Amino acid sequence: MAKTYAKPGILEQLRADYFSNKLDAAMTLVFGTLVIWVVWNLLGWGIIHAVWTQENREMCGHGGDGACWAVIDARWRLILFGLYPFEEQWRSAIACIAIITVGILSCVPAFWHGKKLAALWITGFAIYYVLMRGGVFGLSEVSVQDWGGLSLTIFVFAAVTLLGMPTAIIFALLRRSDLPWISRTMGLIIDSIRSLPLLSIMFTFAVVLPFVLPSWLPTEKLYLVVIGYALFFACYQAEIIRGGMQALSAGQEEAAKALGMSYWQRISYIVLPQAFRNALPPTINQLVITFKETSLVVIIGFFEVLASGNAAYGNSDWNFAHIEVYSFVGLIYFIFVFSLSRYGAYLERRLAVATR
Amino acid sequence: MKSILLAAATLGLMATASSAQSRLETVQDRGTLLCSGHNGSYLGFAEVDDQGNWRGLDIDLCRGLAASLFGSSEGNLDIVPISWAQRWPALQSGDVDVIIKLSGWSQSRDTELNLSYSNPYFVASFHVMAHADIGAETLADLDGGSICVSAGTTTERFLAAYLERIGIEAEVIVFESGDEVRSAYFNRRCDGLTLLAPPLAAARATSENPEAHVILPDVIALEPEGIIVPEGDPDWLDVMNWMISSLFFAELNGITMDNVDEVRADPPSSQIATFLGVNPGYGERLGLSDDWAYNLISEVGNYAEIYERNIGEPYALPRAMNNLYINGGVFYPLMVD
Repeated sequence: MAKTYAKPGILEQLRADYFSNKLDAAMTLVFGTLVIWVVWNLLGWGIIHAVWTQENREMCGHGGDGACWAVIDARWRLILFGLYPFEEQWRSAIACIAIITVGILSCVPAFWHGKKLAALWITGFAIYYVLMRGGVFGLSEVSVQDWGGLSLTIFVFAAVTLLGMPTAIIFALLRRSDLPWISRTMGLIIDSIRSLPLLSIMFTFAVVLPFVLPSWLPTEKLYLVVIGYALFFACYQAEIIRGGMQALSAGQEEAAKALGMSYWQRISYIVLPQAFRNALPPTINQLVITFKETSLVVIIGFFEVLASGNAAYGNSDWNFAHIEVYSFVGLIYFIFVFSLSRYGAYLERRLAVATR
Repeated sequence: MKSILLAAATLGLMATASSAQSRLETVQDRGTLLCSGHNGSYLGFAEVDDQGNWRGLDIDLCRGLAASLFGSSEGNLDIVPISWAQRWPALQSGDVDVIIKLSGWSQSRDTELNLSYSNPYFVASFHVMAHADIGAETLADLDGGSICVSAGTTTERFLAAYLERIGIEAEVIVFESGDEVRSAYFNRRCDGLTLLAPPLAAARATSENPEAHVILPDVIALEPEGIIVPEGDPDWLDVMNWMISSLFFAELNGITMDNVDEVRADPPSSQIATFLGVNPGYGERLGLSDDWAYNLISEVGNYAEIYERNIGEPYALPRAMNNLYINGGVFYPLMVD
């Protein structure tokens, strides 16, 4: 008969984990108090003493006890939609939801198929463009420079990732080419672009490039900046994918060759799937960075969500409330980035990267 | 970044050199004025209201310019949001027709960047604000104290030079960003805070207790702010100068947004009759309609009204040297004949 142990009670478990000796007990008490103090103050500031509606704006003590969420109540549409015409902001909302929905759907394994994904994203971007730009189906026309807020942030991120990922794969393959001229040139390009700051790439693409492009090419700043950013993303991501490829043993590709598989078959069935699996953690990392750095489009005058936040507290009524506005914008970023990381963790478990 | 800017400006110059047409005609043909906005908000000069509409002194000048050109700004004005770094290339490339963005008239901008400045429409002075309980009346009273300033701006240099000139010793504490330097001051890290007057007044007006801070009268340095157009376009520049002059002229003669119709119906002098387009000439010489100044004043009012609406009333910044000469300021209208 197997020997059984009495299950320790909660108190015993706590004592064993946190109060097993004097040092442990002291540390538990000090850090426990600190955590409780911080949480208590945050709750007091953010919820208990907070002012919630703009009708109660007068109650917002300047530097008083509570947060003044009244600023969000009054200015949330500006933060979410930027300069998009007020009466038409429902279009911006639906467009934003469309892109987010497409993004979520393409995370579902059932959609992991080249044609399905392509159809999904083409539909998503078409809906977004028609709603945002207007000019058809009786929708009034809105110029690209008035796009803004969260809808713009999401668009830039989605477009950069979608353009950048295939480019990254091509870059990585060229970088690994057997012909030294191709691989070295590609290496030079990747290293050059990676050594430039993203800010100056965006600025150059949006502001300087229109001077030298032939006039028949479209020079809409937003699209140019998305292309520049996608190129930047592709160079980083290409090196991540190359890292994933190099982690494969040479035998994999040789075995595929021995089976008579063509180059494209080897790449798409043997190399890339495994390379992506290896490169999953840094890829998620890169996506998170890319999402956060979309805020740099402010340099070419676009009202992405951070710039609209700046505009939201930038008048005489709300100038004191920048902490509240930044907390709100921070929460928006957190929701997206945190979901992205959790999805990455789910993928890792599913593909079992760690236990392979 | 600076070299990119220069390259862009040079390329832009090459692009503009090829077209001899004045920007005035281009804008009139297009039927829309493209005017500079902001990428966020600059208190008092370019702000966004709850509905996403632009407000502010610079924005009112854009509206006034559109009204001067087309009779009304409604449907004839596009405010293009641009960043500080982007303003010169945007002007050269034609993304905007004119820059009205609180930009000081400096020699390098005037010469190297090939920009043309109109007469100033605002003089922004650098001041020091001090905690009232110190009891300072001028900057000299802060001798031995400390003054906060933000890094990398010309302010730091101006302040050091000014302190040297009046012969006092004060510790200058440098901070990285505008938000930091403000909160350092309000947390009493220093006795005084140096900024351009409008943001300084805004910081005071929106602080916990505005009475607890005094803006000292010393002018540490000043920056004349003009409207900027590309160099070599005198017709377009004329419109800017005469628009600014008309705002001062209207104020001097007591013509406001509310009474402009009455004054026009019964002009007190032939000069004012010319100004409001009752007699011909005031517009024709500029290539505008003769009643353009009437449209301008009906749309945005005279300079005093614009100032009060955007700066005076919300931020309690006295006009000081931004007043007309008869009130001790530096502004005056050009001659209407």
